[in-house]
Amino acid sequence: MADLPPPVQGPTAKEKKYDRQLRLWGATGQIALENSHILLINSGPGVVGLETLKNLVLPGAGNFTIQDSALVDEADLGVNFFLEEEHLGGFRAEHTCNLLKELNPDVQGHFISEPVESWLAQPDALEPYTLIIVTAPIRPGLLTKLAAHADQALVPLFYIHSVGFYSHFSIHLPPAFPIVDTHPSPETTTDLRLLKPWPELLAYAEEKTEGLESMAADDHGHIPYVAILLHYLEVWKKDNNGQVPQNYKDKTAFRDLVKAATRTDTPEGGEENFEEAVSAVLKSLNPPEPSSTVKEIFKSPECVIIRENSPPFWVIAHAIGLFYTKYGVLPVPGAVPDMKARSADYIQLQNVYKSKARKDLAEVLESVRFLERNANLSTHIEEKDVEAFCKNAAHIKLVRGRPFHIVPAEGDLKFGTNAKSLAQKLTFPDALVPIYIAFLAWDKYTATHTLDDLARASKTPGSSDADVDSDTGKVTSIALKLVDSLVKEASYTIDEEEYDTVRAQIAELARELVRAGGGELHNIAALTGGMVSQEVIKVITEQYVPVDNTCVFDGVRSKSSVFKV
Amino acid sequence: MATGRDKHASRSLGSTLHARIKRARVLMVGAGGIGCELLKNLVLTGFGEIHIVDLDTIDLSNLNRQFLFRKEHIKKSKALVAKESAGKFNPNVKIEAYHDNIKDPSFNVAWFSKFDIVFNALDNLEARRHVNKMCLAADVPLIESGTTGFNGQVQVIQKGKTQCYDCTPKDAPKSFPVCTIRSTPSQPIHCIVWAKSYLFTEIFGTSEDDAPELDHSEDSENRKEIENLRNESQALKRIRESMGSEEFPKLVFDKVFKEDIERLRSMEDMWRTRKAPNALHYEDLLKEVTGVEKNIAQKDQAAWTVTENFAVFLHSLRRLSNRMEETKANADTGNSSPILTFDKDDVDTLDFVAASANLRSIIFGIEGRSKFDIKQMAGNIIPAIATTNAMTASICVLQSFKVMRAVMAKDELGAKLKDESSEKSSKAEVKEEQIEAKTDEAFSQKISKAKMVFLAPNGTERRLTTEGLSPPNPCCPVCSVAQSTIVVDANRATLNDLVEDLLRLQLGYGEEFSVNSEAGLLYDPEEDANLNKTFAELGLNNDASITIIDDADEGARVNLVLHISEQHLGTEAKPIDLTQKPEIPLKPKAAPTETNGDSRPIVTNGLTNGVTNGATNGLKRTAKEAGLKDELVRKRGKVVAESDDDDFVIVDDANDGVICIDDD
Ligand SMILES: [Zn+2]
Repeated sequence: MADLPPPVQGPTAKEKKYDRQLRLWGATGQIALENSHILLINSGPGVVGLETLKNLVLPGAGNFTIQDSALVDEADLGVNFFLEEEHLGGFRAEHTCNLLKELNPDVQGHFISEPVESWLAQPDALEPYTLIIVTAPIRPGLLTKLAAHADQALVPLFYIHSVGFYSHFSIHLPPAFPIVDTHPSPETTTDLRLLKPWPELLAYAEEKTEGLESMAADDHGHIPYVAILLHYLEVWKKDNNGQVPQNYKDKTAFRDLVKAATRTDTPEGGEENFEEAVSAVLKSLNPPEPSSTVKEIFKSPECVIIRENSPPFWVIAHAIGLFYTKYGVLPVPGAVPDMKARSADYIQLQNVYKSKARKDLAEVLESVRFLERNANLSTHIEEKDVEAFCKNAAHIKLVRGRPFHIVPAEGDLKFGTNAKSLAQKLTFPDALVPIYIAFLAWDKYTATHTLDDLARASKTPGSSDADVDSDTGKVTSIALKLVDSLVKEASYTIDEEEYDTVRAQIAELARELVRAGGGELHNIAALTGGMVSQEVIKVITEQYVPVDNTCVFDGVRSKSSVFKV
Repeated sequence: MATGRDKHASRSLGSTLHARIKRARVLMVGAGGIGCELLKNLVLTGFGEIHIVDLDTIDLSNLNRQFLFRKEHIKKSKALVAKESAGKFNPNVKIEAYHDNIKDPSFNVAWFSKFDIVFNALDNLEARRHVNKMCLAADVPLIESGTTGFNGQVQVIQKGKTQCYDCTPKDAPKSFPVCTIRSTPSQPIHCIVWAKSYLFTEIFGTSEDDAPELDHSEDSENRKEIENLRNESQALKRIRESMGSEEFPKLVFDKVFKEDIERLRSMEDMWRTRKAPNALHYEDLLKEVTGVEKNIAQKDQAAWTVTENFAVFLHSLRRLSNRMEETKANADTGNSSPILTFDKDDVDTLDFVAASANLRSIIFGIEGRSKFDIKQMAGNIIPAIATTNAMTASICVLQSFKVMRAVMAKDELGAKLKDESSEKSSKAEVKEEQIEAKTDEAFSQKISKAKMVFLAPNGTERRLTTEGLSPPNPCCPVCSVAQSTIVVDANRATLNDLVEDLLRLQLGYGEEFSVNSEAGLLYDPEEDANLNKTFAELGLNNDASITIIDDADEGARVNLVLHISEQHLGTEAKPIDLTQKPEIPLKPKAAPTETNGDSRPIVTNGLTNGVTNGATNGLKRTAKEAGLKDELVRKRGKVVAESDDDDFVIVDDANDGVICIDDD
């Protein structure tokens, strides 16, 4: 016993603290989060911005900076969790930053209380940040400037509204935002290639089903269902001119064939493995054809031409595209679901899939290395990234990021490429597009109204009790004008009666936004902060599929909707 | 007009609702991930009085989301620290905290009925079911919530109006046949369960017989093997006695990784169709162990080799034995020896289980697992993050507004009708029932605005899916029962008084029924031994409940649950009596077990199963379908109607008239 190694250490405190989230986005996601520096440009009541940050500080985002020139007032204390009585009159940026930092000592927090106009005027003001969150209201000119930075520096930009019972956010992502680890739901990831088996898999099935008819009961009840299905596919092909089952009718007939082969003279009156085979028929007997989304990725210009500065995603996608062109299928992912089988047979089956997956990976990897040399690539691509890509190849996703609408202070808003789809969605009750229009109108009002004495500070509609009625009139007429111009720009014809309903809805929403007086309701801000931070995490970790590109929330009906603007 | 602090909330909620919320008294069960968020939301939306119950203490792994807690709070009571942290942010709110189990008898029906709303922010099925039952008994609205990773859900439960928590069946935790675990494992999970529920418990805990993961049911096939396994456990228990000695690790190792394996291997029948296991040898492994990296146990994502597992096994075993010895030395000289329980966050116990499980996997030719994975599988870990909790808790509060509006509508109408009836006071007692029916209807109408909400983390068209609340399942064993409270003088009242006087005479039960307590059957036509015993003798004390099951062939009524309120009644009074005569409806005839067979995702925090992707739950609506709905909307009227109330409520009511897809 004397020469044993000394007592071993447990996981670090940090790993323990983050244990519950590492199980979602893993160590690579966590590293990405820790390397981020998030900028929050906060304004208005400022609750939604801070609730968003809170949910990013807790899981350990590396750095955050709050820009906010407001001073803490009494109303802040009622809705803002990160402010206390003693902070009244102080800089909101400073106090909220300090209280947020207390939530997680691993996170570095900074604040800027200089007014946003002068601060943004400095060159390189935005340089340190990897992601920017802006809360409304903000002057359109400044938002345009931020959008230009997002375009040029490929930094994701989030823009949020939270007013009364309603909220909205839009995301401006880089023009090509690819995701390998989309975390598809487990039901969709099984890929057994039963319709395109390779020789080793066929040999396995043949071996396990040899002498099927005369097999002892216990052996028969333990044939892995993969082997059962492959065996009967061969039987089916003999009777059907070498064709596998083509359509639903064929598949149900095939299912009956397998069902009929189940032995019923067992103590249970059936066989579990055959039951598994029968229930797997409809979902497993599909040609292993990649989805159109994946095929489009292979065809996109970034994938077709690999240059020395091509990001690894495109290099690997190109290599897998070559694999697909050659074989008509994607690399085998290699996982085998649990099934009734003897452990030795099951392990053998796992090995058949694993060795095929390794072989496919080797081929893709070879192409990647060839591309690296050929294009004189500046970065070396790691094998584990190629492996992860091969495993997820059927589920990769490309989001084409683009700017969201910024309502100009002067002149009209152009709705652009998505005008038509937005106009169409106006009448879908579930799409909640009217809320988006109402928020655009709210922005337009704010951009064109200033508080009397301080000409620079913008005024939110309904912020003074005396103006509620006149503001309601103004915001409503802006909103109705906006929806008219949307319908016109889209050249969309809409049933008159239906359109009246839409206009009535928009007027009602405008009224509600004004009535809130630019105020936030804490739980709506918290909910929206939860949604936005979740999307921020997706964007930073490059895992899961983020909102593309706008989400609105209706707190009256507890509904949300995602659409493209 | 509210100013300052309340400005925002008052504007958005409307002054009447805001004022009612300020007077509300709510209960929050659980101060964990959802609980912290919920408490913050309740405080900042203006709820006046909040009670928090939680038995748990704070752990390091909570800090990534439970933001009311800091490092210095570790091991302290969640309820108490939450109260302290949240109270700072709104001195006007009254917060009461209880570091206690919600199942404690002091939290009785009367106590629950003091609240306007109860929020469940729990992480386990058992406590959820308990609170569900209590809220049904106390007739208090319950807002139930849960999260798993990115998924979350919120459900509003109101006795008699909506489904209760148990109206849809919930999956029970998985268990494995004992022979699979002990003799014929074929998957990594079998070896993990073996290490945790058998080996660890037999050496450091009480006994594997109590492990819920093991199914000990015997049949003719496995009887002999189960007998063998019992002997094996006995032998291991004897080895336990030599804990602390130099040869203890070798004794344990040789027993479970060599001798038991050799015994199994000798049973040739068992391996005719399986791959036979291969025993491991202590001496061989000991020779190689010096080559093992010192920090191997920290590499929790890697698959360890046999020698690495061996090293971790020896070390964790030694650490655990030392702890047992220390506890023994420090404990009073009592008879009971100390025990350890497996805790996924206790590194020593986790190392031991991980290494033992992997050694067993090697023996049976099963793939090993990393410590990280074993932690999740052995600890039933549910991934949990701040973002999901934030959304879920906010939705709870949103639904609570709708519940509060229903409460308000009921109270207002009740007050109005009472005023009217007292003006024409002559037939007041007749009116009482009518008033109740009318206020109840007003309540039902408002509460039907509440929704069941699911997070849809990957939805391409939405981030939430919303459903109307379903009516109670008429066959639900929990909510489709009649309830009543009985006063009992426990020293005088006998079971016979209950059966003959109360049930047969007063409530009209026939011959065929049974009386059951939580412990089991008390009375049925074949079981009359208890009839002369008093309630005190039967252990039926204050706040216990008994269930009457009607077994009549014709016209059987639903189960009746009687809650006991113990009182000393004068000798002239009946020793047992009803406080109110319950209405006991007939059992529905062969009703379906589920009211709707849809595949709605059930996110059950505390269980790893039943989680589905929000986007795949069949609620997706194509543009065409949505268009059809629009047709309907148009036909029903297009104008957003004005209502007589200038509160925020209008939008809600008006929209329900225009957009009626919520309730499909
Ligand atoms: Zn029920």
